[in-house]
This record gives sequence, C-alpha cells and structure tokens, in this order.
Amino acid sequence: MSSQDQTAPRASLTSAATPGTEAGKPSLARRILSDGFSSWALALPVTLVLAFFLLAPIALIVVVSFWGSTSFSIYPAFIFDNYEYLLGSQVTYSVFLQTLKFAFLTWAITLVLGFTIAYYLTFHIHSLTWQIVLFLLCTIPFWTSNIIRMISWIPFLGRNGIANQSLMNMGVIDQPLEWLLFSEFSVTLAFVHLYTLFMVVPIFNTMMRIDKSLIAAARDAGANGFQILTNVVIPLCKPGMMIGSIFVVTLVMGDFITVRFMSGSQIANMGRLIQNDISLLAYPGAAATSVVLLITVLIMVAVMLRLVDIRKEL
Amino acid sequence: MDGKRGLSFYILTGVFILFLIFLYGPTITIAILSFQGPEGGLTFPMRGTSLHWFRDLFAEQAVGDIWGSFRRSLALSMMVMVTTIVLSVMGGLAFRRRFAGSTVLFYVIIASLVIPSILVSLGVGLMFNQLGWNINWYTSAFGAQLTWTLPFGLLIMFAVFNRFDRSFEEAARDQGANPWQVFRHIVLPLIAPSLIGVALFGFTLSYDEFARTLLTAGSRNTLPLEIYGMTTNVTTPVIFALGTLTTVFSFCVIGTFIVFALIWQKRQARRVSDAGKGMV
Amino acid sequence: MTKFTKRNGLSRRTLLKGAAASVTAAGASTLGAPMLWAQNEIVLRQAGTGVSAFNEIAAKAKEDLGITLEITALDSDAVAQRVATQPNSFDIADIEYWICKKVWPIGNLQAMDTSRIANYDKIVGIFRDGKLTPESTIAQGTAPHSVGFVEGVDGREFVNNESGWMTLIPTIYNADTLGIRPDLIGRPINNWSELLNPEFKGKASILDISSIGIMDMAMVCESMGEIQYGDKGNMTREEIDKTIAIFTEAKKAGQFRAFWKTFDESVNLMASGEVVIQSMWSPAITAVRSQGIPCVYQPLEEGYRSWGGGIGLNANLSGAALDAAYEYINWYLSGWVGGFLMRQGYYSAVPETSKDFMSENEWGYWFEGKEATAPIVNPQGVQMEDVGAVRDGGSFYDRMGAVACWNAVMDENQYMVRKWNEFIAA
Repeated sequence: MSSQDQTAPRASLTSAATPGTEAGKPSLARRILSDGFSSWALALPVTLVLAFFLLAPIALIVVVSFWGSTSFSIYPAFIFDNYEYLLGSQVTYSVFLQTLKFAFLTWAITLVLGFTIAYYLTFHIHSLTWQIVLFLLCTIPFWTSNIIRMISWIPFLGRNGIANQSLMNMGVIDQPLEWLLFSEFSVTLAFVHLYTLFMVVPIFNTMMRIDKSLIAAARDAGANGFQILTNVVIPLCKPGMMIGSIFVVTLVMGDFITVRFMSGSQIANMGRLIQNDISLLAYPGAAATSVVLLITVLIMVAVMLRLVDIRKEL
Repeated sequence: MDGKRGLSFYILTGVFILFLIFLYGPTITIAILSFQGPEGGLTFPMRGTSLHWFRDLFAEQAVGDIWGSFRRSLALSMMVMVTTIVLSVMGGLAFRRRFAGSTVLFYVIIASLVIPSILVSLGVGLMFNQLGWNINWYTSAFGAQLTWTLPFGLLIMFAVFNRFDRSFEEAARDQGANPWQVFRHIVLPLIAPSLIGVALFGFTLSYDEFARTLLTAGSRNTLPLEIYGMTTNVTTPVIFALGTLTTVFSFCVIGTFIVFALIWQKRQARRVSDAGKGMV
Repeated sequence: MTKFTKRNGLSRRTLLKGAAASVTAAGASTLGAPMLWAQNEIVLRQAGTGVSAFNEIAAKAKEDLGITLEITALDSDAVAQRVATQPNSFDIADIEYWICKKVWPIGNLQAMDTSRIANYDKIVGIFRDGKLTPESTIAQGTAPHSVGFVEGVDGREFVNNESGWMTLIPTIYNADTLGIRPDLIGRPINNWSELLNPEFKGKASILDISSIGIMDMAMVCESMGEIQYGDKGNMTREEIDKTIAIFTEAKKAGQFRAFWKTFDESVNLMASGEVVIQSMWSPAITAVRSQGIPCVYQPLEEGYRSWGGGIGLNANLSGAALDAAYEYINWYLSGWVGGFLMRQGYYSAVPETSKDFMSENEWGYWFEGKEATAPIVNPQGVQMEDVGAVRDGGSFYDRMGAVACWNAVMDENQYMVRKWNEFIAA
C-alpha cells in the first residue's frame, strides 16, 4: 500500500513519456515495468522462490526438531527430547568448539591470504585484462568436481604422496610427515583451498574502488608503504573484508563433506552430526542440531553485519 | 605501488605463484594420475602410463552413468543459470527503489546466502516428503540450488544498479521510448557484461553443488552425486580423467572468453566510450 | 479419407510392432530367455549399494529379458533412507538384510510369493532356515533368515519359518574379515585383536558405518578377551559402552589413520600404504590386488563377520511391472548374474546355477577353494591371480561355515548410534 505513494511520482513521469510511443497498447512487460507496483511485481518471483525453498523448509526444520523418531520413522509431537539429548551431551560441546575452531582458523588464514592476493592484483598488476586473466586462472581448479579434488588430496598429501616425496627428495625430511593428511591440518588446508577466493573477490572489489589519489596524497604527506597500508588501504577495505568473512565463516560452519574426507572421518563438526543423523533417518535429531547451527550462524552474521552496512557497500 | 617495481612486488609475486601452486596442487595430482596405466589406482605409485582412462571415460562404466548424470547436471545448471539471470535482473530492477518489505526481503536474501546448505537440503527434502511430493532434480533440487545462486545474482545486480547512471534512461525516455524499450535498448546492453558474471556464478555454483542436491535430487543423480555414488564401489582413475578433461575444457572456455574480451576491448577503445568503467 | 489414413497409420504401426517382435523373438530363441518385455517398454528402477549395482547386469537383463533396468548406486545409508522415505523413487530395492530389518516395518516393500520363484528350493539354507548345512549352528546378529519371511504379501512382522512369503530374495553375500598388507606387516596375523595392536599405531582403520563397524569392534574386543558378549548382534547398553570405550581410547592414542565410509576409500587407504590393517570387503581386496599390490583377506581364528543382500519389491508394484520384477528375480537367480558376481569374490544365493556360467577353473578357485589351474582374471579382464593361487580362507563351506556373526540392527540401535557418533567425534 505504501509502495503506491512512494512510486506515485515515478508513475506520472512514465505516463508522461508514453504518449510518444508507437501506441497506447499496454503490453504486459510495459505494465510490469511502469505500473505502481512494478517493484513488487518484479520482486515477486524471487520472493516466491525464497519463501518456498528457503523459509518454508527452514520453518519445517524448526517444527520437526520437536518431533519424535523411532529407528525408522518420524512422528509429529511436541517434545524436547532432541534438544535434551543434544544439549545434555558432552560431545555436542566439543564438536561445537571444533566447528568454531575450524571457522576461526580458516577465517584468519583466508583473510590474510585473500587480502594479500587482492592487494597484489590491485596495486601490482596494472592492466585490467591481466587482472582478469590472473583471477580466472585462480578459478579454473574449481571447475573440477569438489569430490574429485577432495579424493586427490590423498595422493598429494599421503605418506607416499607428492608432497612427502618432494620434501624427502629435497632432503628436508627423511620420514614422511604423517600429519599432512587426515588431521586438523589437512582439513584446514582444504578449507583454505576452497574458500580463499571467496575472500579475494569482495576485498578486490572494494580495493579497486579506492581512489588512487588518496594514496598519492598519503605518500606526499610522508607516509611510508606500511603506514599507507594500515592507515589508508585496510580501513577502506573493511567492508570487503567483512563480506568475505561472512562467506568464509558461514561456509565453514555449515560444511560436512570436507571435514569427513580430509580428516578420514576422524574429526566431527556440526555438519557431520547433522549428516550422521540424516543418514540414520533420525530427522528430528538432525533438525535439532540444525536449529542450533542455524542460530549460531545467524548470530555470527548479525554481529558482522553490525560492523558493515552491506546495502551501502554494494 | 606505481610504475617502479620494488621489493614488495617480487615478494608478492612469489606469494601469488605459491598460492597458484597450492590451488593447482590437486589439479596437478589429478592430471598426473589420470594417465595411470590400466592397472593403476587412485593413488600413487603409478602403474605405468597410458590413455586408458580417457578411453574408458567414454565407454560404459561398471557402475553408474557418468554421461547421463553429466547431461542432467548440465541441464540443471542451465535451468538454474537462466532462472538466476532473469530473477536477478527483475530483483535488481525492483530494488532500485524502496518498497514495502524491501528491507525484509533483503535480509531474507542475505539469509539465503548464509544458511548452511545441508539445512536447505534437509528442509526441502523433508518438505517434499511431508507434502507427499516426489523429489526430482528438476523440481526440488532446482529450487534448492536457486536459494544458493539467487543471492549471488541479486547482490551483483544490486551493486550494478547502485552505480548505474540513470541519465541514459532519462535521455531515452525524453526521446519517447516506453519502459520496455528503455529496458531492452538502454539498460540491458549496459548491464550485459555483469550478466555474464551472474551467468558464470549461476552455472558454476549449480554445476558443482553437492550438499543442496544430496537430499533433493531423487532417483536420478546429478554429476557430483554420481561421482560420490561411484565411490561406493571400485573407483578407478576414470574420475581423474574426467577431472583432467574438465580442467582442459575450462582452460578452453576461459581462453575463448579472454580472446573475446580482448576483441571487445579493442572495439570499445575505438569508440569514444568509458562505459567499461562502470562495469566492474 | 480420414478413415483410410487412420487405418493406414494403424497398419504401419502394427507392422513395425510385428517386426520388432520378430526381431526380439529371434533373439529370444537363441538366448533361451523365458519371456520378453520389449514391446511394453518395462522400466524397473533399482536402487542399491554400489556393491551389486553393475551396469553389466542391466545390459544383460535388457538383452535377455528386454527389461530396462535403471540402476542407481548409493551408499548403504542412502539406500535405507530412500527405501524408508522415498517410496516413489524406486521399483526394486537392493539392500542388505540388516537394512531390511530397519525399513521393512515402514511398509514400502511387499513380500514375494516363493511359489513364483523357480529356484527357491535351491537357495542356500542360510537364507531359508538359517543353516548352511543341517549341522550348522546359526551365528549371532541379524541372520538373514530371521528377517527373510513374513506372513503374507502385506505382512509386517517377521516370522521364524519358511512361510512362502519372502521379504528379500537373496542375491549376494559374503564373509568379511580384516584385510592386511602382508608386505608391510611381515608376520602372520591370526586374530581380530591385531587391529588394536600398538604395533600398527597410525596404520589401522575401521569403517565408519555404525551397524557394521560395531560388529567389527565386537569381534576385536572379544578376541582381546576384554568383553564376553551375550550376543554380539544384540548388545546391552553396558556392552556397547565398554566396546566404544576401548576403541575411543585406541583412537585417542592414535591407533587409527582414518575411518572409511565408502568402498573406494578402503581401497585407497590400503593401496597407498596409509593403512596396513583394516576392516575391508572382499572386492576391495581384489581391487587392491589387481593394482599389483599384495593384500590378503586374512582368515582369523574367531571367524568371519558376514552380511547378505537381497532385492525387495516396492509395495506399489503391480500388474505387468510386478510380473516383470518376478521375471527379473528369476533371471537373477538363474545363474548368469551369480557367475558374474562370484567372479568378484561374492557368493551367489543359488551357487549351483552359477556353476554353468563359470569355467571349471573359476568355480574351483572362487567356490571350492582349489588352486587356480589357469590365471584368474577380474571382470574387466585384468589378471588378478597366477596359476596355483588359492582363495584366502578357502572354500565356500570353509568360509561361510566359520561365520561368527551377521551384520545387525540391535534393540539398542539408537543408543548404539549415539555412542558411535560420540566415538567419531571423540
């Protein structure tokens, strides 16, 4: 309703423009684009898709988290068993901490690495074409199925893998390093591999918009490279860093497949708890864990969004 | 930072090269192992070298149906890509002004981006199940994937329209163009380069999506699910051959893209235009 | 005029139909297939574990029966999930017996009339009265016969006799044990307890599928003398706690290199030398060996942990599709499939029909435990064994006669699963 008064002036503007067109026939497309509720009509498909495939399913998860289950079926109920078990088990907390630990480690590493790469592409590569070429070069490995790449880490990092063989040939080590594979190290490594680009893109995006004259001005004022970095570049890149952080943190928090493959199933995170329950048909249990994970992620994102006005930064 | 290349340039180039090696580590491993001899496995040591697994890729597999699932994945990614483009452009246009509920919708879009994919998968699967509907790659999986590609497409379009110069449109309108003509002849050409980005995101994110499809694909697998399914049986380096071919294919696509970009750039340079500036 | 074209069209169609029928009929007479479905375009969707989801079987079924078989390969949890929650996604479920115990009561499957199964009488005793030979004792766990029969087509309760209504028609089964790398271990391994021997610290693995893994654990704990189980296949909470505690301790001490969940992970772990001793499945051993890497499916004093799979029919199947499904099952048991699967190291439910589809050498090696008189090749034609090789564990009766327990679903299943998750997360 209020949409109408907001768009009223615009509607008159467009109608003023119409007489000159070929005919007064209001085609559907034209009506959608010009009518008072054009915004609403245009946003409707997206709204419907998200309502049906995001909001409704999530609502259902919340509902199901209170249902009961037998070993092969679920039944509607309103019980707290799932939460009771979840919150009453020591394992939940250690898994929860493990999940946060991976999120933090991956976040810290990808932030530094992503910033460095973005900085290099922005300030050391001068032609747009080369920037694009180098960036695309970074994306090619991601076109190969993640599962295949995950499997290939074993021959890369394993006892007889490329990494150990090269290190031994170079004489750096004389025993294969066991912790390269099936460890927290390998899980974090795979996360960094997967998600650094999610950090690079938004940081690169904000960095490209930094007015070069600001940097020149800082230099003229006698700032050295490091001071320019900390006083000019980093503050101006904060929004990009924040958006990248949102990506990386939420992706790591919700992962279940990377942890399983790269730890050789030996480490659990929240996603794996959910996946385990799902595979055992214990949907209510999975739903309860999902709700806890969802709340955690939403809180984290809300905090990060406080630090940056994402709408303004787009 | 300017023309002169100081020490920092060389250090950062080194970092970048190391990063590339790191990124390509698995790709290289896959490439090497895809040339395993006919008796070789998925791990080192190599048992001879051959093109056996590339040939095998095009023959029928003992288990599963790589090409069937590849076709489904391709079709699904195309569907997701086209839908993402259309809905993102519409959404982008909608968000050029505030409307009732726009803030709520905006945060729902953000939520769609941050909610773990396994939850969407579980939720959509459960919902279809409770409604008594069949899950299918072209219904439930399609919808589940849209919740992942749409936010990307929309955010890109928001960014594009935030920096969109309205004077072109107004000029066209003054010339008497109707809104559809304005969109078709002014707005669309200007946002076209960004649409390539949306398309690329939509396609790639959908093509390799595993978690969101896991519980929503129904009886016919998409490629990532198929590869995962293959691992329940004797898996051979044929999946590495597939990986290598994918990489070669991506190089070709991106190479073509760059060539086109260069040609386009030259053509743009010949015109007196700075339209390219507002693009990124 | 319209009448004429219509008739014309009709006659052309009948002509084509006739031609197709005669072609397929010619095929039928040479192959001796009992019935043909090509004209009706019968499609059966089979969901199963990768263990038996071979395209060769689908191709052969098409050739022999004219039935199009669409096979989807999944891991065992996913199959169970599909059978339980997506009854419209499959026509035939290829599942293990312990999964059957879990999903049968949901009612998405229908029992099969044994009078329509031609080779029913020849099915191995394990699947009928539970006894391999009349003298055999029945092993612990979810023995196939105990969940193999119900009362009538819609029966939901398992019955303890050959009621004439079978839940699953057995397809393949095997006796599992530990796989080892003899070249990297260098000494004989005779007991399940070796899995937790500190000698193999960081080089052992167990599978991360709770219902199967817990049984391997029980075999180990019993072999170590730590726990005496009342029934390994139906543990009490105390027994579960104790078992998991022993393994959690070992895990924390770094005994395990990894856990595996999919078949190829077990192959990769073994082939790459990451692991030298682990729970393993027979074809995985074959896969490692055909890479030229020594790997033994070590028979152990305590006996084997066994499993069996079978195909079940969707409750919604009826009419021509149901007839086709019966046709398919009869064909499955008639020998070709059995021979095909036995060459991969599994056993067929009706071994005697498979004999005709294997060479004497193959039959001797795979079933009778005799020395190979000619090289043994795998289904892809790659040589696996030289002349003189003997199958690990010996003959069918040696191996299936030494089964200590079956994969099982326990009364305390949910409790066990929770404990298992804790073990994985520990």
